[in-house]
Amino acid sequence: VLPVRWTRYNPYYLEPEPSREVYRIPVTELTDEQKAAQELKAVRPIKATPSGLTSSVFSDPTVSKFVNMMMEDGDKVLARSIITQTFESMKRKQVEKYHKAPATEKEGIECNPYTIFHQALENCKPIIGLISIQKGGKYYQVPTPLTDSRRRFLAMKWLITECRDNKHRRTHMYEKLSQELLAAFMNEGNVIKRKHDMHKMAEANRAFAHYRWW
Amino acid sequence: MASTVPNPDSLGSNPGRHLAHIAKVLRLRQLSAMVLARLVCTSSTLQRKNIAAAGPEKYTQEFIKKQIEEFNIGKRHLANMMGEDPETFTQEGIDRAIAYLFPSGLFEKRARPVMKHPDEIFPKQRAVQWGEDGRPFHFLFYTGKQSYYSLMHCLRFIQLLERILALPYCSMEEEYIQRFRRALEVQSKKQKIEPLQYDENEVAFSTGEGRRKTATATTIVRDNGSGNITVNGVDYLHYFPVLQDREQLMFPFQFLDRLGKHDMECKVTGGGRSAQAGAIRLATARALLSFVTENEVESMRQAGLLTPDPRVKERQKPGQEGARRKFTWNKR
Repeated sequence: VLPVRWTRYNPYYLEPEPSREVYRIPVTELTDEQKAAQELKAVRPIKATPSGLTSSVFSDPTVSKFVNMMMEDGDKVLARSIITQTFESMKRKQVEKYHKAPATEKEGIECNPYTIFHQALENCKPIIGLISIQKGGKYYQVPTPLTDSRRRFLAMKWLITECRDNKHRRTHMYEKLSQELLAAFMNEGNVIKRKHDMHKMAEANRAFAHYRWW
Repeated sequence: MASTVPNPDSLGSNPGRHLAHIAKVLRLRQLSAMVLARLVCTSSTLQRKNIAAAGPEKYTQEFIKKQIEEFNIGKRHLANMMGEDPETFTQEGIDRAIAYLFPSGLFEKRARPVMKHPDEIFPKQRAVQWGEDGRPFHFLFYTGKQSYYSLMHCLRFIQLLERILALPYCSMEEEYIQRFRRALEVQSKKQKIEPLQYDENEVAFSTGEGRRKTATATTIVRDNGSGNITVNGVDYLHYFPVLQDREQLMFPFQFLDRLGKHDMECKVTGGGRSAQAGAIRLATARALLSFVTENEVESMRQAGLLTPDPRVKERQKPGQEGARRKFTWNKR
């Protein structure tokens, strides 16, 4: 018996939109798609917002997902504190670099930890993925396109496993994470290397691409 | 298979012998059909083909045409025999004639001899839907219900129906057409908004209740306040040391831009840390409905503030350790 994914919500319910800007756009400036979406939302019930998200400017859905992935045994307090410490240390490093840099380079240095996090995640996302397909008794690694959510998941997973496994014994998680994020922001580091390895494998296995039937 | 049909003009001399001959011819035809069918069956079983997979027996167009010709000729013969006009001989006449000529003592009516139009005897078969190259003729073939979808969309059936309702004098057909329509209710009208209450000092206040995962909360939101929040008699900063819970308390106020304008007093029981925060959030959102315009109510609903969260702890099942976790698998 295969396990089936189900939720307590009726599939009729739609996803909520907690951010405030969507509701501030006046009716005249909506595109056709947005108008159709609004009309649909007016008639359908909507799920409750999860407790990790709010409408404030400080809450970020990507950061919230990252916190959940970092969480172990349900300890969200610890996961969230690690992330805040990571952002704090990233900010400190960048501000130090900013003050030491000459006037010409000062504008190029990014100090906002949230933009660094988003850019680093974007740099870590693989474009093409590999899937194990069984054919004729053997398993082949077949290159395949990935959905947006799958790419984001892989990038976050690689970051977290990299920081958990390959660090010096006495370094804290937040130190290692901030190093990895800053390196990924500059397109260096082990996670970027892993992404490039994945792309090279996909290019090497191009011949098996037609094994995929969907 | 068709044996030579006796000439109707030669009826005159010996009608009895001729009748027997006609009966024999008709029965022979039935028998030969049965024999043929049995032959087909035996040949396929001899070759061990999968009979069920072949589907119902397929009759070619020529075979059915021949059967129709023979039926018509036989009908004329019957009419002659019964002394009626061959041109105006109906199916009822045929039935009466057969019942007269072939009296049967069988109780099962379906087992008695029957002479009907071949279209009623041989099952109707679908003409093949695709050409020689395997490409289907109809462009909606792969939907599975090609005639239904072509009716719905190519002939703009739905548009036609909607247009009928837009015309004047549509009230005659409206009831019939409404049977095919499902009323989509506007969800925001389902919210119960209680009117504001006023206490002794003319200050407006409102109550709300919320539940989340075994935690129940009741709140009183007062106007003209300065953002003080009291939970079970304790300040919210002491009751919820975690930032995430405090953010959840602030969520309804922050969404409506009323952060420092209200005072809140609430009582919570049951659940855990996060469940109590969620319960208070729902309760405050419901209390704030009385202070707020309709558009804001709709945007609150779309932000997910007014839906009670149905997620609860899944029960443990017998034979398993938890809700999903199974016992450790032992080979022996």
